[in-house]
Amino acid sequence: MSYNNTALAQAAQARINALGIPKRNNELWSFFPVNKIPSVVSAESAANGTADSAAAEGCTVECADFGIAAETDIAALLPIAKSAPIMKKDFAAGETEMGLIKSRADFGHSVFKIQKNAKVSLEILDNKVEHEIAAERFDINVEEGAELEIFFANPANELPLQFRHFAIKQAAKSTVHFSNILQDAGIGRISIDVDLNGEGANFDYRSLSVLKGTASKHQRLTIRHNAPNTVSTQFARNLLDEKSYVSYDGSVIVGNGCSQVNSSQLVNSILLGDESSVSVKPVLKIYHDDVECTHGNTCGELDADQMFYLTSRGIPAETAKKMLMKSFAKELFLPLNDGPAKKRLLQVLASL
Amino acid sequence: MLSIKNLKASIEDGTQILKGINLEVKPGEVHAIMGPNGSGKSTLSKVIAGHPAYTVNDGVVELDGKNLLDMEICERANSGLFISTQYPTEIPGVNNVEFLKMALNSKRNFLGLPEMGDADFKKLCEEKMQLLEMDDRYRDRGVNEGYSGGEKKRNEILQMAILDPKVSFLDETDSGLDIDALRIVANGINHIMSPEKAVILVTHYQRLLDYIKPTYVHVLRHGKIILSGGPELALKLEEQGYDWIEEK
Ligand SMILES: Nc1ncnc2c1ncn2[C@@H]1O[C@H](COP(=O)(O)OP(=O)(O)OP(=O)(O)O)[C@@H](O)[C@H]1O
Ligand SMILES: [Mg+2]
Repeated sequence: MSYNNTALAQAAQARINALGIPKRNNELWSFFPVNKIPSVVSAESAANGTADSAAAEGCTVECADFGIAAETDIAALLPIAKSAPIMKKDFAAGETEMGLIKSRADFGHSVFKIQKNAKVSLEILDNKVEHEIAAERFDINVEEGAELEIFFANPANELPLQFRHFAIKQAAKSTVHFSNILQDAGIGRISIDVDLNGEGANFDYRSLSVLKGTASKHQRLTIRHNAPNTVSTQFARNLLDEKSYVSYDGSVIVGNGCSQVNSSQLVNSILLGDESSVSVKPVLKIYHDDVECTHGNTCGELDADQMFYLTSRGIPAETAKKMLMKSFAKELFLPLNDGPAKKRLLQVLASL
Repeated sequence: MLSIKNLKASIEDGTQILKGINLEVKPGEVHAIMGPNGSGKSTLSKVIAGHPAYTVNDGVVELDGKNLLDMEICERANSGLFISTQYPTEIPGVNNVEFLKMALNSKRNFLGLPEMGDADFKKLCEEKMQLLEMDDRYRDRGVNEGYSGGEKKRNEILQMAILDPKVSFLDETDSGLDIDALRIVANGINHIMSPEKAVILVTHYQRLLDYIKPTYVHVLRHGKIILSGGPELALKLEEQGYDWIEEK
């Protein structure tokens, strides 16, 4: 199966140019240092119709138009506009699979279908980025009863500017566990649009940022509960040293007629540095009565009594600090089922 | 061995809590400190340990001739000081046994000794847990996480047994212990105690002193030691309270 994306690239670039490079007042980019977005974003690219590189035999993925005309986030459009090669894969119904996705150094686009009742675990690995910007897009269609675990926990890497966009559509009784650890030095933005389209669908997001220097990481999530009995969890914890910064912008939209929806959002931050900071913006748009939506946000320093207790037993302050940081971080991932994601995330934590 | 001279300390708003404490503790001695609520007993232990909520305004605290007040918190502990706080802090997520091992090996590092390996530590830990009749619950949980009041106190003495300090300052270790636990913990303390070590006990009641015979009993009130005596003083206090004592 071959696929020419010249027309799509042009459409995406046109849409970017119509939207313009985000300004501070763009609510999708509220906390992002928009002055850091390079001009290449709006430059007309030489869309040369890269052929589909990794289409599997018998792939049923339909690329459609990725909703370009209605897209408002330029990070979602950028890989398409820059003719990113499309990596397509179907994960077979009822099978269990593990996979590694090698992240691209510039522009990448992955289109996955997790077929009915498949159990899939995907780890995203980083490549070293040498360009001024890297942008990736993932379109993931999770069919009925399928379980997807998707995670990244890359060790510190010099990323100047990185966008990752995920468009996730979930059918009935499907589950997605999305987990990550962010600890590199650059500026990064993750945007995730989730559509919980089928009854009983469950989306679970867990994100840990362990940052220092001038690193800044931005998360924008929009979770649409389009069916009854759907569940979403957002849980972010931040350990921010020196001048590092995290922003969290999480919207939950519960559609009319979607009863028994349960959604929670919690962001806990520990500011280790005098100049570190965090911004949190929870948005709830609820068009139905019978739902339970919670959100919370805490921000503080390492607990002074706990520090005293550990050091008063002879443990040096630096070690005690590390112990408390790790225990704070660990709580985020302990509830995950035992599997490759939990194993990898806890392994990375141990080496922090 | 522990020498406290004219120790004065205040809290952040400037209020002076300790107003000139003097105390000399020699090897082999047990000192009991009693006194009404709010007199400064817990503050004294925390100031000696280096709690950041307090500022020392005057005085000296020496352990074997070295000024503790110049040292980091962990250095004071590794030099042989152990304080057990009245309300032990819960640290969920930090496993109790790993914490104990980290504490012991920090001390060994400080003393220039090789770290103790897993097998040896397990043996040591088991032995001390047996001494204090403690079960596996203490092993699997986070430090003091979800422990009852009595369980926390017992866990404090487990730490004391493993770290083997020269001077232990135990703040109301008897409160919250049931009758059997009081006997077990007191016997544990007696077992750890030796002629080269010393213990300071803060308590409100005679019952602990029935098990651990004090060499001296002191009354602390309004930030000062206003009276010192032998074991009989504790009995008199139990009978008559504090009102009969004249403050200088
Ligand atoms: N960190 C602090 N901040 C404010 N006040 C404090 C602080 N520490 C101690 N105090 C005050 O100092 C006084 C002495 O407190 P401390 O805890 O030392 O008393 P205590 O003798 O141990 O009492 P108790 O028998 O009730 O345990 C009290 O009035 C207490 O409120
Ligand atoms: Mg007290």
